[in-house]
Amino acid sequence: MVATSHDVMPDIELYQPADEANALELADTLGSDGWLLGGGQDTYGWLKDRNKSPSAMIELTGIDAWKGVSETGDGIEIGAVTTLTEIAEHSLIQSRFALLATAAGQVASPQIRNVGTLGGNLIQDTRCWYYRRGLSCYRAGGNICYADSPEGLNREHALFGSSRCVAVSPSDTAPALVALDATMVVSSASGQRLIAAEDFFVGPARDILNMTVLNEGEILTAVRIPNTWANAEYYFEKVADRNVWDFALVNIASAMRVENGVIQDARMACGAVECVPRRLTQVENMLRGQARSEDLGAEAGELAVQGARPLNYNHFKVPLMANLVKRAVRA
Amino acid sequence: MEEGIVRYRRDVWGEEVILGVSWDLLWVVAVAVLVLLAAHAIVMAVLVNRKMDKPSADGRRVLRHETIDRWFHWIMAVSILLLIFTGVAPIIGLRVAWLEIHWISGLILTFVVVFHIIRSLFWQDFKSMILGPRDFGEPFDSAKKPGKYSFEQKGMHWAVTIVALTVIVTGILMFVQIDTPFWDRTNSMPEDQLGLVFLLHGLSTLALVALAASHMYFALRPEKIFYTRSMLTGWISEEEMAANHDTTRWSPKEAD
Repeated sequence: MVATSHDVMPDIELYQPADEANALELADTLGSDGWLLGGGQDTYGWLKDRNKSPSAMIELTGIDAWKGVSETGDGIEIGAVTTLTEIAEHSLIQSRFALLATAAGQVASPQIRNVGTLGGNLIQDTRCWYYRRGLSCYRAGGNICYADSPEGLNREHALFGSSRCVAVSPSDTAPALVALDATMVVSSASGQRLIAAEDFFVGPARDILNMTVLNEGEILTAVRIPNTWANAEYYFEKVADRNVWDFALVNIASAMRVENGVIQDARMACGAVECVPRRLTQVENMLRGQARSEDLGAEAGELAVQGARPLNYNHFKVPLMANLVKRAVRA
Repeated sequence: MEEGIVRYRRDVWGEEVILGVSWDLLWVVAVAVLVLLAAHAIVMAVLVNRKMDKPSADGRRVLRHETIDRWFHWIMAVSILLLIFTGVAPIIGLRVAWLEIHWISGLILTFVVVFHIIRSLFWQDFKSMILGPRDFGEPFDSAKKPGKYSFEQKGMHWAVTIVALTVIVTGILMFVQIDTPFWDRTNSMPEDQLGLVFLLHGLSTLALVALAASHMYFALRPEKIFYTRSMLTGWISEEEMAANHDTTRWSPKEAD
C-alpha cells in the first residue's frame, strides 16, 4: 500500500551520543532498529512517509571527532558528519581537491547543504519513486521492479548494471570520491575497516536491499583522500532537471594528470547511470598517453556508453553521458 | 506481512497478494533435519549397527551404475548444491553475486533432468524405479529384499523428482523475468501469479534442502557407503549385492 506523507515524525526513540564509543555501542546494540541520523535529508522523508519505521534513531551530528577536515600524512581526512557546505567552502579541499568541493557545492540546495552531511550524501538510499513511495519492489524485499515494468516510468533510472532493480546511486559526492581514489573509514564496536570508495557501493546483483557494504552496527565515520590526485585537472558536471534542489540525471567526475597536452593518467566516474558510481576504467585506459582533443573526447564518450542498456524512458541518458565524458576529456 | 508459511503484501492497487514463502521456515527445516538425522544416527549407533555384518567389497563385481548415469548424478548434485547455496546466500545475508550462478546452475539442472527423463524412459529399466505395493512392505519385513532399488531409494528418487520438477518449472518462470544473454526481461507477469511462483519455488527449495541433507547423510552412512562408492566407480561386490538385494529381481551384468 502506498503510504501517505505525514506532517509529523512518528514516535521514535532518539539517542544523541556525544562521543564515538557511545555511538558505536549504540549502533551495535540497536542493530537494524537503530537508524543512523546525519543531517536527516534522506531520513525525514522515509519516516514521515512511514515507509521505514525504525524504533530508534542515533543522531551522529553531536560527535565532534567525526566532524571537520584534517591533514594526514598522505592527504586529508574528512569527518563523515561534516556538512556539505563546509566541504564545498573549505580552503584545503578547494585548493587540493576542488573536484570534491565542486561536487559537494552542487548537491541539492544551499539549505540542504547546510545541514546535509558527507556521510549522508554517500550512504543515502536511492530515489526511485516506486521504492520511496513504499511499494514492495525488489529493493524493498518484493518480487518485482515497478520501474522496469512495461508501464514503468524510468527516466531517471539505470543504464548499466541492472540486476532486477534499476535504481541508481543519487549521490554527487560519490563519483568525485571514486575519481579521487578515496578510502572510506568504517567503524563499529569491533573495530575499524578501510574500504576503497569504489568498493564501498554495492549493486543489486550482490545485494539488492542495500546500496553500500555497511553492515548492521557499522558507521561510516570518515573519508580519507590520498594526495595521489591532489591538484590534478578536475572536471565535475552535473546535469539535472533543475539547477538547484535536484538529483543528477547524470553526473561526471574526472581527475587527470596532463603534461604538455598529453594525458598521463586519468580517473573518472559517472553517477546516476548505475546503482553504484560507475568507474570508467576502459576510458581511463584509452586516455593514457593520448593528446587531449575534441576527437579524443568524442571517442572516450562513445567508449563510455558501450554496453548501456537504456530502459523505456531513459534513452536520452546515453548521449548525455557520452557528452559529459567528452566534455571532461576536452576541458 | 508475515503469516505462517506464506508472506503476503499489498500490491500497487492495495490488494493483498502472495509474496513468497516465509524464510523463517529455512531455519525450521534446517533444525528439524539436523535433529532427525542426529536421532537416526544415535539410534543406529546404539541399537542397530551392533548387529550388522558388513558384506565384503572384495570378490566379483557387478555393475550398478553406468558411466553416463554417474555423470548425470554428479552434475545434478553439483548443480543442486550450487542452486541451494546461491539461493540461500542472500536470504541469510551473504553478499555474493548469486543470480548468474543460480540461473546457470538451474539451466544445467534442467538439461540434465530432461536428459535423464528421456534416457530413463527409453534406455533404462524404468520399471526398476516404480514403487509397487510390495515395496511398501519392504521396511517392515527383513526377509523381503529389493530389486535394484530399495523402498527408501525409490522414495527418495520420487520425492526428488517431484521437488526438482517443481523447482525447475517455477525457476523457468522466474528466469524469464530477469535479463539474460538470451532475452531482455519483460517484467510483465501479474504480481499475484508471480507471488505464487515465488511461493512454490521457495517451498520446493525448502524441500530440496531437507532432501539433499538427508541424501548426503545416508550416502555417508557406513552401511550405505558402498552405494556411494558405486556412484563413483560404478560397481558393487557380489557379496554386497547378495546381502542387500534380491538377486532374482535384479541381475546386473559383471563390472569391467
